[in-house]
Amino acid sequence: MNRIVITLLITLFCGGSVAHAGDVLLKAAKAITLDGPSIEPVAILVHDGKIKQISQTIEVSDDVKVVDLGDVVVVPGFVNAYSQLGITGGSSEFTREITPNFDVQTAIDWESRGFREALDAGVTTVGISPGTENVIAGISLAAKTTGSNFAQRIVKQDTGLVITLASDPRNRNRARSRPDSIYLRQPTNRMGVVWMLRSTMQDSATKAGSADVVAEALSGNRRIFCVSRTHFDIETVLRVAEEFDFSPVIVGGEESYQLAAVLAEKKLAVILGPLRTTLSSGAEGTDPAWNRAGVLHKAGVVIAMSGDDLLEQARFAVRFGLPEETALRAITIEPAKLLGIEQRVGSLAVGRDADLVVLNGDPFEFTTNVQAVIVDGMLIDAEDKKE
Amino acid sequence: MKNSRLASLAILVGLLTTSFASAQQLAIKAGRVIPIVGDEIEDGVILIRDGKIVAVGKDLTIPIDAKVIDAAGKTVMPGFVDVHNPSGMSQANERNTNVPFLSVIDSIDPSRTYFEESRRNGVTTVAVVPGNSTMIGGQAAVIKTAGSYVDDMILKRYAGIKISLSPASGASRMSHLANLRKEFEKARRAIKADEEAAKDKATASKETSKTDAAKAPSNAEQQLSAMKSLLRGEMSTFVYCANAMDVVQALRLTKQYKLKTMLVLGPECYRAVDQIAASKLPVILSDTLVFWKTDPRTGDDEKIILPKIYHDKKIPVTYLVSATTRPTLGGRYLWYQAATAVKYGVSVDEALKSITLRPAEFLGVDKFVGSIEVGKDADLVILSGDPLKLKTWVETTIVGGKVVYEREKDTKLRGLLAPKAK
Repeated sequence: MNRIVITLLITLFCGGSVAHAGDVLLKAAKAITLDGPSIEPVAILVHDGKIKQISQTIEVSDDVKVVDLGDVVVVPGFVNAYSQLGITGGSSEFTREITPNFDVQTAIDWESRGFREALDAGVTTVGISPGTENVIAGISLAAKTTGSNFAQRIVKQDTGLVITLASDPRNRNRARSRPDSIYLRQPTNRMGVVWMLRSTMQDSATKAGSADVVAEALSGNRRIFCVSRTHFDIETVLRVAEEFDFSPVIVGGEESYQLAAVLAEKKLAVILGPLRTTLSSGAEGTDPAWNRAGVLHKAGVVIAMSGDDLLEQARFAVRFGLPEETALRAITIEPAKLLGIEQRVGSLAVGRDADLVVLNGDPFEFTTNVQAVIVDGMLIDAEDKKE
Repeated sequence: MKNSRLASLAILVGLLTTSFASAQQLAIKAGRVIPIVGDEIEDGVILIRDGKIVAVGKDLTIPIDAKVIDAAGKTVMPGFVDVHNPSGMSQANERNTNVPFLSVIDSIDPSRTYFEESRRNGVTTVAVVPGNSTMIGGQAAVIKTAGSYVDDMILKRYAGIKISLSPASGASRMSHLANLRKEFEKARRAIKADEEAAKDKATASKETSKTDAAKAPSNAEQQLSAMKSLLRGEMSTFVYCANAMDVVQALRLTKQYKLKTMLVLGPECYRAVDQIAASKLPVILSDTLVFWKTDPRTGDDEKIILPKIYHDKKIPVTYLVSATTRPTLGGRYLWYQAATAVKYGVSVDEALKSITLRPAEFLGVDKFVGSIEVGKDADLVILSGDPLKLKTWVETTIVGGKVVYEREKDTKLRGLLAPKAK
């Protein structure tokens, strides 16, 4: 059996001197920090799971364990801003269309294989959102893909309110085939989806200052993530956003490149859904634009990427026209900012979590492998080591 | 009068043929030639006449009337060979379970996007093989990826019969295998009967029934004759194994009937990797090269990396690309499969061989394609940079000395890379 070996890098239980108890010094050929220029070679001092110091060389006392990772490139652990990772037993409530108080946390199986797969691919933090089949789906969170217990794994309990302005909410409406169904739901088309969203927001707008989840989001105290893919849905999002005065993050955004100039002007970010080159069209029949990330970036739109193959998404984006640094930012610091957790993850700097991906070469080559992943200072061997 | 007319016609024909011949000369000045067989050549020249490679080397004299492709700073490789793909045909699986006499040739549609995408990604030769769902699914053919009519594209008409060890839905493995063996036995007995008949014929009178020749062969006769060609070793077979237990059956059938087997392996077959290694049979890996499994009892997760497993056992493999509509990012590109192998420890040379010369050898067409050597077909890819690099693109694809793809004229690709708002 090849379990993923989790080795405690930090000898936490050895006691020792107060100053350096459990400190570890990591050495590598290069670090792309995304917080200033790259550092070559690099030394990273890890204390209690956090980066205590990072520079070309660091002098340490003898009781600090030194781990030389060798001729490798380290980058910040990848952040997937939008996923349904670990959700089991359905991700949308079918008896209601508006479920703003639903908290995704209770639906997550923290032992789910998806977390291991993500971790193996270098993803150390994920945004987990309820599904797309409700008009207002609920509250999302951000969590690490590994850790000793789930309470500790959660980076942020409430990263925002997830809404859908696409055709998904009508998919689950079984009323057409089964009029007596308990699943009788309202939206059977896009007009219904938008109407339900508007009326809920109108309702909540009158409750400003109350503990209403939607009201809090509309008053700017909670980010709104809006799943939308086609250009006309995104245009509707822009209209509704203007009407209720909020700044949504577009999720999916397959055709958002068509509105790149407007999105840039309004300073709205896009979390792109995964690109699939084998399909002649994207989700909901959207245009298969391979370089949508490059077009958005060129117009000045902040982008993040999502999907279960984050690094591969970034690589193909570079192949199709996105600058390398932007691509790396789109799977690290930008999603971290969108989730409001950039003080903890997404870059390598003093005070940040020691979440690193160890690569055996240039991040932007298909032939480069994730050699190991470090989360909160713990080394996780990604490579199968069959002894 | 008549004679002079004939003479002028002859001159005209002569002129035409000479100009025709000279128009067929092509010279490629490459920054780097990776011939697969032999050493790499920096600043090499490849001379092509009438669709064949006539010279490869440094400082070659380029004929004055040859068309020259300047590929300075670029890399030239043999065109890639897709060892097994049903995408070129319009329906990959026949519903009748026993159709060894059918040929993919009847089903190949050169206008399918598969061919266009192949040329865009450097694939110049493909074995069009029936799908995995039919017991004895028909005959594969090796064709070039460029041409308007299938007849212009054929490289090897009888490339092998596809056999699947997976029972059709609803049927059991026991009956599937029994049916398969029954067909082999039938063919074996028929060959024996033929041999005895031939012996009898030699001794007895030469009288044969004349009516036989005029009659159209029945399905059963066609089935039998195709199966006999398999047992006589005149034709190879692609044997699809969905899992490890099928591999053992495939090896047994191969041994028993002396088949020329190519193993088409599903992802799970790696469990029989030792038997596969010992068999020394050609191996075609599944398009899913890396996947995860969870042990049903312990719940332990395991990551399976096929290129590594087979490489560790020193099994020479070839790679499949995704032929389904399964959404993937790079899975439909042969070069991406090779890059994935390199990612998990396979050398670049080995990975390049596994998408060029090795599949050509497996398919028995290595006399014509798979490497840049004098006498072989001028099937070449000009790459913008080093192979398997992220920013390397296929600039030009050449099949039989003719340019069949140019990136700068690829408006479809341009549309995907520079999409415009409507």
